Amino acid sequence: MGGNNKIVAFCCENSACAAADRAGKIRLYYPDNVRVIRVPCAGRVDVLHILKAFEKGADGVLVMGCQEEACRHLTGNTRARERVKYAEILLKESGIDGERVRMVNLAPEMAHKFAQEVSEMTERLKGLGPTPIKNGGPQR
Amino acid sequence: MQVKIGIFLCDCGGSLRNIDFPKIRGNLEKLEGVAFVDISHNLCLEEGGKALASRILSEDINRVVIAACSPELCEHNFMRLLESLRLNPNFLSIANIREQCSWAHKEDVTGKALELLRMAINKARLLQPLERKEVPVNQEVLVVGGGFSGMESTLELSQLGLRATLVEKGSALGGKLSELEGFYGLGASPKEMLGSMTRAIEEGKNIEVLTSAEVTRVEGEVGNFTVRIRRGGEEFPRSFGAIIFATGYRAGILPRDFELRPSVNIISQRNLIEILQAPEKLERKPETIGFILDVSDESSRLATLLVLNNALAVKEKWGSEAYVFCRNLKVDSDGAEKLYREARATGIAFLKFEKKPQISEEDGRVKVEAKDVLLGEEISLSCDILVVEEKGLPPEGTEALSSILNIGLDSQGFYQNENVYLYPVDSGRKGIFLVGACRGDLDISRASMDVASAVMGVCELLASGKAIVEAEKVRVDPDKCRACLTCIRVCPHGAIRLVRVNTEKEVAQIYDLACEGCGICAAICPAKAIDFEGYTDEQILAEVEAIGE
Ligand SMILES: Cc1cc2nc3c(=O)[nH]c(=O)nc-3n(C[C@H](O)[C@H](O)[C@H](O)COP(=O)(O)OP(=O)(O)OC[C@H]3O[C@@H](n4cnc5c(N)ncnc54)[C@H](O)[C@@H]3O)c2cc1C
Ligand code: SF4
Ligand code: SF4
Repeated sequence: MGGNNKIVAFCCENSACAAADRAGKIRLYYPDNVRVIRVPCAGRVDVLHILKAFEKGADGVLVMGCQEEACRHLTGNTRARERVKYAEILLKESGIDGERVRMVNLAPEMAHKFAQEVSEMTERLKGLGPTPIKNGGPQR
Repeated sequence: MQVKIGIFLCDCGGSLRNIDFPKIRGNLEKLEGVAFVDISHNLCLEEGGKALASRILSEDINRVVIAACSPELCEHNFMRLLESLRLNPNFLSIANIREQCSWAHKEDVTGKALELLRMAINKARLLQPLERKEVPVNQEVLVVGGGFSGMESTLELSQLGLRATLVEKGSALGGKLSELEGFYGLGASPKEMLGSMTRAIEEGKNIEVLTSAEVTRVEGEVGNFTVRIRRGGEEFPRSFGAIIFATGYRAGILPRDFELRPSVNIISQRNLIEILQAPEKLERKPETIGFILDVSDESSRLATLLVLNNALAVKEKWGSEAYVFCRNLKVDSDGAEKLYREARATGIAFLKFEKKPQISEEDGRVKVEAKDVLLGEEISLSCDILVVEEKGLPPEGTEALSSILNIGLDSQGFYQNENVYLYPVDSGRKGIFLVGACRGDLDISRASMDVASAVMGVCELLASGKAIVEAEKVRVDPDKCRACLTCIRVCPHGAIRLVRVNTEKEVAQIYDLACEGCGICAAICPAKAIDFEGYTDEQILAEVEAIGE
């Protein structure tokens, strides 16, 4: 493992966590560089959490919540999307590619989408190389 | 209190072979505050649980980290176990090393499992105890709307021993039941049904009926709503623990569907029912009657039922020829298929169009021209009466009520968004339920199912007169709150209110029972005054911290 493609995935416990569990259950075998942080709702995720993840060594961040119009907490997923957008702007200002953060909507059954998003982000990160924060920073 | 962590690694009966458990143990044992690291094969079985319990007690630890299957599966049980050991159930942190690690990858994932554990340990260090508390709930229930759905709700509640107050806008109960002639598929006629329900309500225990009354304001939260009711000239407050809305629908003809306005010969289903009830209004018996369905859209389940029902009625009463113009007949409601077969057997003709039929009036008759796609022929029918489709529309005042309640409407203007998590009768606010036609379930059998679900929901909340909550799981720090109202505006479950703490200061306060624990408020508060135990900024960031390690 290691390399420059560590992904932090903030996952809503009502949808994305279940999708991730299911992906394991049916052995979809996605890249093992992703770390799921369980949150009660994508709406709990703050811009601060996303930025800190990069500061602490993440190369990409996924925020994963319920389907559009079908959020367990009604507006949590739209708020999360707004925050991801804002984080993207802040990242760009500090010279970090906005492509490194992404909002994903999925239903609890969507194991394939979960695995696919992780794989796609991994590929993207390979293309982008290390973040400016990591360059010269501590690495394992 | 010094943190003393006990770590339990479960290898799921030895099946998680791509994780090197002894290596993980060796790595974690050295960490500060870790009392021990145990490897188990079956934490979820009785013996595993017993071993876990005895280790917790003998080592006197105060934080438990478990690496096992998905918390979705095991968290609840482990929390109850901790509780039984008099350890706060919130002192538990789980690393999902099965579904999200061992099972998800082919290669050796010891490194990933170790990192997941470090995340869980980092979080465990910061966990604070949460007290479970009993709060009293008011057991009285308000039912708004006295049609079939509201009456049925009231009766079921009273049978279960809960007091119900039924508020009806009109001067009498019944809603659509009092307007209807016949019913498909149900034994009793609507009038009989209304009669027996009214009697049951009069005789029922714990029932209060307020007619010519309306709800003007709803404040408070589940277990303790304060509702203002207007009746006659006066307005008065009442308290309830839960509210069921059954405000029904209004039937109407959409002007965009028909260029010709309804006239003597172009009538609605309801007009036809009136005529069927009072045939003396007719100058002569109609010989040919046309029915038309699905003109603007195909969401016409009830309309289809009405057409079938009424076509059979005219055939039976007057012996008229009946023709039904439709796109795709929807027979998925209770009893509809049977009705359709009956209609065909009695000689009612069904004509399937794709392009909207042309309708014109000539010599006091109505001409319908359409292309039947099955016959492939242009058809022109001249009928005495054309009965057009009525749509179910939300009743007047729905928008006003939805803003009083702070709950959403769907794309057609009915209550309840098309959100699977609310299905079938939740409103997004705990303790407020929506049943029957007001959420677009227009027929009686669907309405009955709604009522059963809602009554069950009410019972769950109120039956014991008290509720158990995790006190202050989400909490506003009154010293930091600047009363900007942002959280109150964004809370999707209406769980926050402003309270006065002293003469100068008002602050936001979260009502534990109504809070559904989403954390949206915690993320948005500009003063960072809201903490969500289990998901505080520090706890989330502590997990993030472990990632680079
Ligand atoms: C012509 C016609 C034929 C039908 N035939 C059949 C059939 O054959 N089979 C079948 O299953 N179904 C049939 N239905 C449908 C059936 O009548 C309805 O599904 C059922 O009556 C709906 O009951 P409800 O209580 O949900 O709504 P409603 O009957 O509409 O009752 C709502 C009540 O709430 C009151 N109200 C509204 N707003 C407020 C407010 N803000 N405050 C207080 N009170 C309020 C209204 O005054 C009304 O009394 C038919 C309907 C029509 C129009
Ligand atoms: S958002 Fe924060 S500061 Fe504003 S009212 Fe709510 S708790 Fe107080
Ligand atoms: S956690 Fe969610 S439901 Fe609870 S008070 Fe905050 S915004 Fe409302």
